[in-house]
Amino acid sequence: MNRRKKILIADDSEMNREILAEILGEEYEIIEAENGAEAVAVLQSNRAEIDMLLLDYVMPEMDGFQVLELMNRQRWIEDIPVIMISAESSMTYVEQAYELGVVDFIKRPFEALVVQRRVANTMLLYAKQKKLTDMIIEQIYENEKQSSLMINILSHIVEFRNGESGQHVLHIHMLTELMLKHLITITDKYPLNNADIALITTASALHDVGKISIPAEVINKPGRFTPEEFAIMKTHSAIGAEMLRQLPAEYAEEPLVKTAYEICRWHHERYDGRGYPDGLKGDEIPISAQIVALADVYDALTSERVYKKAFSHEVAVDMILDGQCGTFNPLLMQCLRDIAPTLQQKLKNATEESRTESRIEAISMEVMRRSELSVSSHPMRMLERERLKYGFYRTVAGELWFDYSRAPSMLTLSPYGASLLGLDEVIVNPGQNEQLRSHIDEDTLQGLVRALRSCTRDNPAVEYDCLLNLDGGEHEVRVLLRTVWSDDEEPRYVGVIGKVIDRAEEDSGSEMPDWMNTHDLQTGLYNRHAAEVRIHEHIEMNPHGSFGLALVRIENYAVLNESYGGEFGGRLLRYVAERLRLGARGGDILAQAGDDSFLVFFEYRRSALHVAEWILTSLEGFYEDIPLAVKVGMAYTNAGEPANYAVLLATAERTLEGMDTAEQLCCVHVENTEGEDDK
Amino acid sequence: MSLQTCYEALGGSYDAVRQRLPSDRMVQKFVLKFLNEGSYDDLVRAIEAKDAETAFRAAHTIKGVCLNLSFDKLHDSSDALCEALRHGWTDEAPKLLEPVREDYERTIAAIRAFAAETGA
Repeated sequence: MNRRKKILIADDSEMNREILAEILGEEYEIIEAENGAEAVAVLQSNRAEIDMLLLDYVMPEMDGFQVLELMNRQRWIEDIPVIMISAESSMTYVEQAYELGVVDFIKRPFEALVVQRRVANTMLLYAKQKKLTDMIIEQIYENEKQSSLMINILSHIVEFRNGESGQHVLHIHMLTELMLKHLITITDKYPLNNADIALITTASALHDVGKISIPAEVINKPGRFTPEEFAIMKTHSAIGAEMLRQLPAEYAEEPLVKTAYEICRWHHERYDGRGYPDGLKGDEIPISAQIVALADVYDALTSERVYKKAFSHEVAVDMILDGQCGTFNPLLMQCLRDIAPTLQQKLKNATEESRTESRIEAISMEVMRRSELSVSSHPMRMLERERLKYGFYRTVAGELWFDYSRAPSMLTLSPYGASLLGLDEVIVNPGQNEQLRSHIDEDTLQGLVRALRSCTRDNPAVEYDCLLNLDGGEHEVRVLLRTVWSDDEEPRYVGVIGKVIDRAEEDSGSEMPDWMNTHDLQTGLYNRHAAEVRIHEHIEMNPHGSFGLALVRIENYAVLNESYGGEFGGRLLRYVAERLRLGARGGDILAQAGDDSFLVFFEYRRSALHVAEWILTSLEGFYEDIPLAVKVGMAYTNAGEPANYAVLLATAERTLEGMDTAEQLCCVHVENTEGEDDK
Repeated sequence: MSLQTCYEALGGSYDAVRQRLPSDRMVQKFVLKFLNEGSYDDLVRAIEAKDAETAFRAAHTIKGVCLNLSFDKLHDSSDALCEALRHGWTDEAPKLLEPVREDYERTIAAIRAFAAETGA
């Protein structure tokens, strides 16, 4: 962590950059940018390494404010402190700069010492904030570990005396957590956040603490209790609660202790009011106690006791759902029914360690998400970049798309996919996500993992047929996967993008060809070959229709791509594709025609020129502050004339090539071989 | 010729720049570098072409560098031109360029004389 901090200096005057570099060069590593656009390009590719930006205001390409606006939009401003340095002294500029999030404003002429101090102070401030974030996470981790440890020791002592296996507390813990997490997805009747769930889950370990006061000969008696013994046994819930209530006041007020009190006292109450000690009814019983009660019953049924054998998981669930073991909240019954299929496996997998770890991880993530703590660690920045990069895919409507990044482990679903599965669009740590796992069984998951392992960078795509739980039932699906690899010399697997196709829907349609082979992966449009097949089909159905074929080219794409970084080019293509897609009508065929060009094939009613004009209009304006320039070359046939794809395409290509620099649009009628310029 | 005399000759404030920059060596380095500052040529070309935006930026750069180096006279004339061009072209610009030319040439002459004497 002791690397020299890096400062990016963006100023169009070489003298000015050099003066700053001279003043700061001893202490920091300096990177220079000649204008705003160059600064943005550096930020785009090396953001995680830049510790500060010194920004001039008046610059060609993009000025300082435009850079700041973009940094705000991309939320880079949250991670990278910016100091503006300018000869502009009017307060309006200074004010606007602060509004746009600069940390400091230094006016020319500046004193070398002041620049050094202000830069150093800002660095210190940001480093402190980062350290503070780390410390808080560390603290939470420690606290969590300590209190879990203490509670587990205590509850194991109780269990040991009860002659129960050490697994009981663990199972109650797991079950409580699973039930709660599922409960909040099926109802908002109980306002529980993640912290509440963690609290209840932790407190559940103490539910039987009162048994410490029950005589050993009662507790460990083989065979059934006499009524007297049962009466003694029943006192454990009130006694446990009393023990907690009598804790010194400073502890008794703790949320954990209060929750543990509820659980201890009321985990033998029954929903119909026939439980003990207080005979509470329905939701008079706190939800924490209701859930622990159900977990306790399930675990009692599936465990061997001195007086009974263990029931199987299936029998236990049936008995509870059947009402043989008392009355429970119908919502909790539904929870149990929902989670039952995967419950057994999860309980088996549960080990003390993984449980603590996964919760600590969850809390850390929660802390990281809080906006008041600047997200400044490298992996989280990467996450942000990934989010932008694939943001496009999430907007594809009506399809179950996903992308998965490996580090940090995160799954993003298309909005449609998320609603179909009833999941969040973004799932951190999908491997640990119970809801996600309820859609996919262990065998299928292993199969997917095997399919992915067969991929290489040169052979990145694979298909996998399997059963998925979609929309409340099992569906035969085909999963199309394309692995994503790093650009390093030794390519590393960094993630997957993919799509899930329901085979039933696929069969009912004409034919669903391999998506990866027919589409451009960057923009999701048809590739040229696939477009050709479809256009042929279209023309065959109506050989004398009125057709148009437009080629749309982004001007200076290579130059833009070069000067704004590789990711920019991809984003620009996706943007243009999206604009075209938004404007396209039902029968239109859109395709990626070349590195910087798109193909639009359409059948028109009144005028082909109108369609071409629509294309130009839809692409007018700016993209990320860069004016978008496109040229459209179009060829068309009139109704009643024979149409031919190859001729249309060749004519459109020739038209596009033949346009001079100022022309934006040129339409040519193909019937006349010379080409009649309609423009 | 000392740096101080050079500053007097070009109409700057040596004391002011020494307060801001930490060493004579650094001041000297950047004063000499000013000979290679290309913004003045850009400015002249842009005024000829009536390209207000480029002229504004060039004048702004000269003004900023002069502020840093305390070349007061050139700062004042380039600042006047810069402000005139802030909101687009004005026919005042070529007139305002004249004092900038005068001050620039005077500045360059003083630095050249200084450079010749110190052998830098």
